Amino acid sequence: MSIEVMQAIKIDESFYKVKEVRRLTDETFSLRLPKSRFAFKAGQHISLGIQGDYQSREYSIYSGENDEHLEVLVKEVKEGYFSPKLSHLKPGDLVEVNGPFGKFRIDEKKINDHKFVFIASGTGIAPFRSMVRTYPQLDYQIVHGVRYGHEAYDKEEYDAERHILCTTGDKTGQVHGRLTKYLKKTTFDKTTQFYLCGNSNMIFDALELLKNKGFDRDQVHCEVYF
Amino acid sequence: MKYHLITLGCQMNLSDSERVSAVLEQMGYERTENEEEATLLGMLACSVRQKPIDKVYNKIAQWNRAKNKRNLITFISGCILPADKEKFLKLFDLIFPMSELSQLPDMIRNYGVVNAASLQAPQPVMPKNEHIVDLWHIKPKYESTYEAFVPIQNGCDKFCTFCAVPYTRGREVSRPSVDILQEVQHLVSQGYKSITLLGQNVNSYGLDKHGEEINFAELLRQIGEFGKRSDEEFWVYFTSPHPQDMGRDVIEVIAEYPCLAKQIHLPMQSGDEKVLIKMNRRHSMDKYRKIVEDIRELIPQATLFTDIIVGFTAEGEAEFQNTISAMNEFHFNMAYIAMYSPRPGAASYRWEDEVSQEVKKDRFHRLSEVMKTHTRRYNEQLVGKTLRLLVNGTDRKTGFSTGLTEGKLNVRLDRKAPELKGKIVDVRITSAADFSLSGELILKEEQVEL
Repeated sequence: MSIEVMQAIKIDESFYKVKEVRRLTDETFSLRLPKSRFAFKAGQHISLGIQGDYQSREYSIYSGENDEHLEVLVKEVKEGYFSPKLSHLKPGDLVEVNGPFGKFRIDEKKINDHKFVFIASGTGIAPFRSMVRTYPQLDYQIVHGVRYGHEAYDKEEYDAERHILCTTGDKTGQVHGRLTKYLKKTTFDKTTQFYLCGNSNMIFDALELLKNKGFDRDQVHCEVYF
Repeated sequence: MKYHLITLGCQMNLSDSERVSAVLEQMGYERTENEEEATLLGMLACSVRQKPIDKVYNKIAQWNRAKNKRNLITFISGCILPADKEKFLKLFDLIFPMSELSQLPDMIRNYGVVNAASLQAPQPVMPKNEHIVDLWHIKPKYESTYEAFVPIQNGCDKFCTFCAVPYTRGREVSRPSVDILQEVQHLVSQGYKSITLLGQNVNSYGLDKHGEEINFAELLRQIGEFGKRSDEEFWVYFTSPHPQDMGRDVIEVIAEYPCLAKQIHLPMQSGDEKVLIKMNRRHSMDKYRKIVEDIRELIPQATLFTDIIVGFTAEGEAEFQNTISAMNEFHFNMAYIAMYSPRPGAASYRWEDEVSQEVKKDRFHRLSEVMKTHTRRYNEQLVGKTLRLLVNGTDRKTGFSTGLTEGKLNVRLDRKAPELKGKIVDVRITSAADFSLSGELILKEEQVEL
């Protein structure tokens, strides 16, 4: 085989071998890939494709910048096209990773003198886990809205007093109800940096609420899941 | 040996087509507008709307029927969604990303030869855009002698939910600034008057190089410095910028240098905060407002153009009213208003298209009417003023010459002056309409016949 052909059939560098599909709940799993050559900033997202398929989807990175895995958090939409295929991947299968993308990142200049409030619905917690794992010195609070308590993905990794779980379907969270219920009754430091990630309805409502509390739009960073 | 090339879609495709022509003509092909006499038939596709994609399918069906009568090779490139690519592989003889244009001669020569590599390598879903730089090394065959497009950046990392471009063009890649400056200088030396810097996110220029390339403001400044040294009068435009990466530094540079045209196209898409979030635009209305304030402060004479989508998912009447308010606030000189239609490949394609066509049409007309009140008022205050005008066409009804001001306002001249095509002249504005002006040519003394 000529050198030219050898080069041509070299596996594209954006293909990664799946290391593990880590089940978190019946509907949610994390996909672990080797981190080795992939550099990103906590909060960014990647585009994920499956070898042989013609579609791709964007996922926030769930792992920290210095973790040994590159990990994404996936909610399986049973009637969906893509996530069920991801859930059936086996170690060794190839996925295509493009990125990282996005500016949903921590302003590192603010780490030492600002409080950070991370507001997430469902798998929208992914970029915040990445941030917390990357910046151990962060003065943060996570407000996580889910339906049931078992959807508090990897809850044990966070300081208990920094993690506010809001559940609408059971009473296992610190707050029974939507996360906006918690936001309404809570007073935040004036210079707090808010990061919102999740479905657009949650983001609309939280944004409105923070605006009514007098926070500037510049203090509120949004990443919508679609 | 003749080729026929159909180019669909945006200015980027037009610019790419100039490079395709250059490559084919270097091979000895001669362009023909009559596809019956061509043996090589190509298309540059556009996936932004459904209509051009439908046109591709209709055309390739015709071409494949014609293969029963004569030997043909067909090819396709441009903006192609992965799903369409799968289908095109069966319909076209050759399919390639623009980044591989330099290999087109080999593809044509080797057409029909099985390539072991292509059978074995895993095929990526996202277009690989890093080799787009190779495309830019190809010297284009410019279609015009006075206006030109200069690609400076390609691809998109923004992932707006209504748009499929990240999946058709791939990642943002910036062209080396040295090459851009050379091309601009060459064009000016050849007498070009209107030069448009092109990119899907033109003002994200350089960001993909992480400090190893200058940024967009610095690129403009270097072009501006060249303009200062040059004796030629020319206008440099850029399209399309993304508000997320638009800083005051860019506006300061445009204000400083005369050759940087005082016309800014700043896509807003919606005037409603919630709709912007649903669109994943990654900028707030406050951010957009700040940019417009900077433009008004630093370049008060600048015209402001925008793009708006009406009837996007999540746009109710209240949200639409916010877009009307934004139109009234920003007084755009032109808004390219589109009724939302879901595009396969875009994230919003998976959502319910919840605004009816009737409502979209109604909003389109209402917003257009509001825009007209502002464009008309702006145009009317220009009556009596003298503006510089690049003569570039002919009015179909009267045969009189037409042109564009530096701010890209349409002006119809008071005479037929084909000899002025491609020249910048003075024109006194005599009347105003909603979207155009009329004016009389001011001849310099040496041009007046005594």
